[in-house]
Order: sequence, then structure tokens, then C-alpha cells
Amino acid sequence: MPPADLAGAPAGPAARPAPAFAQFPTAWRFALRNQARNRLAGLLLAVFVPAWYLLLAAITGHQPLSFRLFATGQYLAVDSRHLTLISAGLNALTLITGFAVFAAIRRTLAFDRRLVFAGYRHATLIAAKTAATAVVATAVAGYTAAVLLAFWRPGAAGWLAILAAFAVIALTYGALGLLLGVLVKGDLEGFFLIIMGSLIDTFLQNPLGNPIANKPVLQWFPSFGPMQFAVGGAFGHTALWGHLALGLAWTAAFTVTGLAVFQVKTRNRTHPVRITP
Amino acid sequence: MTTNVPGRVSDAGTAADGQPGAQPEVLLDAREICKSYGRHQVLRGVDLAAGPGQLVAVVGENGAGKSTLLKILAGTLAADEGTVRLAGTLGYCPQDPVLNDNLTVDQHFRYFAAAYRLASLRRADELAGLLGYARHRREPAGALSGGTRQKLNLTLALLHDPDVLLLDEPYQGLDWETYLRFWDLVADLRARGKAIVIITHLVFEQDRFDLLADLSGGRLTRRVPPGKDSHAAR
Repeated sequence: MPPADLAGAPAGPAARPAPAFAQFPTAWRFALRNQARNRLAGLLLAVFVPAWYLLLAAITGHQPLSFRLFATGQYLAVDSRHLTLISAGLNALTLITGFAVFAAIRRTLAFDRRLVFAGYRHATLIAAKTAATAVVATAVAGYTAAVLLAFWRPGAAGWLAILAAFAVIALTYGALGLLLGVLVKGDLEGFFLIIMGSLIDTFLQNPLGNPIANKPVLQWFPSFGPMQFAVGGAFGHTALWGHLALGLAWTAAFTVTGLAVFQVKTRNRTHPVRITP
Repeated sequence: MTTNVPGRVSDAGTAADGQPGAQPEVLLDAREICKSYGRHQVLRGVDLAAGPGQLVAVVGENGAGKSTLLKILAGTLAADEGTVRLAGTLGYCPQDPVLNDNLTVDQHFRYFAAAYRLASLRRADELAGLLGYARHRREPAGALSGGTRQKLNLTLALLHDPDVLLLDEPYQGLDWETYLRFWDLVADLRARGKAIVIITHLVFEQDRFDLLADLSGGRLTRRVPPGKDSHAAR
């Protein structure tokens, strides 16, 4: 026996006046506003990003490192400080976008359920949230790449490669934040997973003092593709588009899984049946 | 006066009996609702019905399952067994305000106007004025007092002028003035044929209700409020 025939599907007269507020623009605007009001993320951007670059640049010398480009099998001789600045940027981005999206999604989950229950189309709400997440992640990536210039000028093509890699990793961890936001029960679990995931992922890609430097196992981490793309562009003058796409594949995987869980958690538990004439 | 008749708390005909074009006799009709959390059986075959203009109170001790019942009626929680039939639109006011602290009162109105596909915010204007919090409309929900949050919570459930209202402790945190205005609002809704189910701890104003449904041991027992004709609830 189905649990209930009907619940609160908003329904009304067949001929109703045009809605005053269209669903997608409304959801998009408020999703962006919700992200933008995260003061902790703003503070992290303003203070943590430059401080993290400064700290990691200060503790890393200019020793030569051997970095393997997996697409070509070639080893690049790179400056350890420059490479570490890329790692620092990737790491800061993963933390900030992961946190920001995780917090924004998690704190509005019950509210979103209420909206869906009130008649918001699921797909519209999801699309608006995803688009807002992508915009925020890309903007944060642009800022982080711009701050990098205060510490290192890699040249236009190299910087653009780093910018693209930053944008992709920001999207990936934004999507991971989305997934964790709908999946984990407490703030602490989510923050722990983002911090540990980010540290392990981004610093294992850097061969500096790393026992598994240049090993194939690195390919199984989300920041592998963006790191390969950034280093290829900044030091090897090659554009490894396949590796950038690999990063986007991680983004897509996290997004699809996260949205599927979101769909399940915000769905109406009953099967609406209107019985009035 | 308390009657010990278990089961349905209203014996009116089902909504399906309604004539085409005529207002159905019953707007909300729940039958044999059962719900367990693990081994703990919270609801053991609850029946509840409410017709146009009818005001029903669900009372019971803490943990009796009142909110669980209301969530099932609202469709936000799945029952293990039973059916809920509804004629018309539904408004559900959860016990704890479900708001977005980063959005202002006005932004909440616009968000829910989009959800309900409303043509204007006229009803929101009316309700904010009636419940006396229009001056807070530009403030974010996170900065509102507990009472004002509750008023907004209630307004969001009423924004589309639904036919059936499920209100879980709707007046907790309201000051006396707003509490009285709330009852004015309820009187207006009843006069316009809305069916209202309220979960309440306050049993000292029993005569306001057509019917008190006492939830105990997982079942509802009808209790006709003092001073009411026992047939009035039917």
C-alpha cells in the first residue's frame, strides 16, 4: 500500500495569472546572494590566500625538482618554489571553495526542501544552485590566480594555464562541497573531509619531499589533472587539454552524485493526487 | 466532554464524495496512518478528517507523535501505512521555523512567491501587516527575533492562501497582541472555508476549536471541546 495518496502539491485554477517571479532567475539570484554572504569564505580569500602563498614561498628554496608529465612521459626540471606556489594556490582554492559551497548547501537544505514542497521545480532549483556554484568557484579561482602574480610572474601563457587549472580545481572542490553538503550529517565531518582531502590531494602532486613523487598512483586524485595542466603550461609550454578535461570529469562526477543525493533528500515523500474536480 | 471513541475524529463523508463543482465535504482525509521509528510504533492507525471552515486541534504529550502525524499529513514524511487525501492546496507551517538566515523577509516572500507561482505579493503584504512585522521586511531572517521568525514561518505557509492548513505550534513565541491577531486571522480563514489543523500544547482555549483530537498511545481520541455541540465536529 502506498504510504499516502497525496500531499501538498500546490495546485490551483487552470487559468492562473502569470507568476510575478520566474523560478530560475529568482533561485539563481538568491543562491548567489547566499554564497556571497559567507563572511568566513570572504575572510579566507582576503587573508588566507596571500598568507598561504607567502608562507609556502618563504619555506621553499629555489632547488631544482623533477616533475613528470604523464601525458608525454617527459620529466620537467622545475623550480621548487614556483611549483610550490602552484600547489599553494590549488590547496587554498580547494579549501575555500569546498568550505563555501559545503556551508551554503548544508545550511539551506531544509529550506530548499520547503521550497520544493511549496512547488519549486526541482530541476530549476538544482540548475540555479549549480550555476551559482560554478560562478563563485570561477571568480575565486580568478582572484587566487591574480594574487599569485604578486609572488611569481610565469608569463602570459603559463599564467593562463594556471588560471584554467585553478578554475577547474575550484569547480571540482565546489562540486565536492555540494556532495558533502547533502551527504554528511555534521559540520565537523564535512570540514574534516574537505581539509584532509585537500591537503593529501594537492600536496601529493608536488614532488618536493614527497615519497610517492611522480608515481602513477597520483592519477587517482582530483587535483592530478589540473596540476599536470598547470605545470605543463607554466614550465613545459604545452597544453595538456586531456588532463584539464580529467579535472572536469571529477567535477561532473561529484556534481552528478551530489545532485542525485540532493534530489532524494528534498523530494516529496508522497504521490500527489488531486481529487477535487 | 471526552468521548472514548477511537479512530476517526470526524465522520463526515470523504472528499471523493464531492459533487463536481461543489465544495467537497472533506478537504483533508487521513486514514489508518501508521508510523514506526525502528521498533517504536509512534502512530498505530490514526484517522483524521477536516472539512471546510473546520478547526481541529491535535493535542497530546511531548513525544506522542503529533509532529510526526502533521509531517505525514503534509507529505514531508512517508507513512508506513495509510492514505492521506487532500482536496485543494496545502499550507504547512513546521514547528521550527525553516528559513534562510542570509535572506531578508522580502526575499523570502519573493522566493516563495516563485515557488507557489503567485501573480503578486498582495497576500504577503496583508499578512506582514496583520501579524505586525512589516517594518522588518528588509532585515535578514538571521537577525530577526524568535517571535518574528515564527511570524515569517507562518506567513510562508499562508502565502498562497491554501485550502488546507497544517500548523505545528504556530503561536509559540508570539506576543499576546500577535496571538490575538493570529486568532483573527484564523477566524477569517475559517469564514472563507479553509480547513485548519493545529498542533497545540495550549489546552486552556479549547473552546476556540471545533474538535480536539487527543493523540495518545499512537491513536487519536475525539474530545469535543466544552460548550460545543458534539455534532458540530462532524
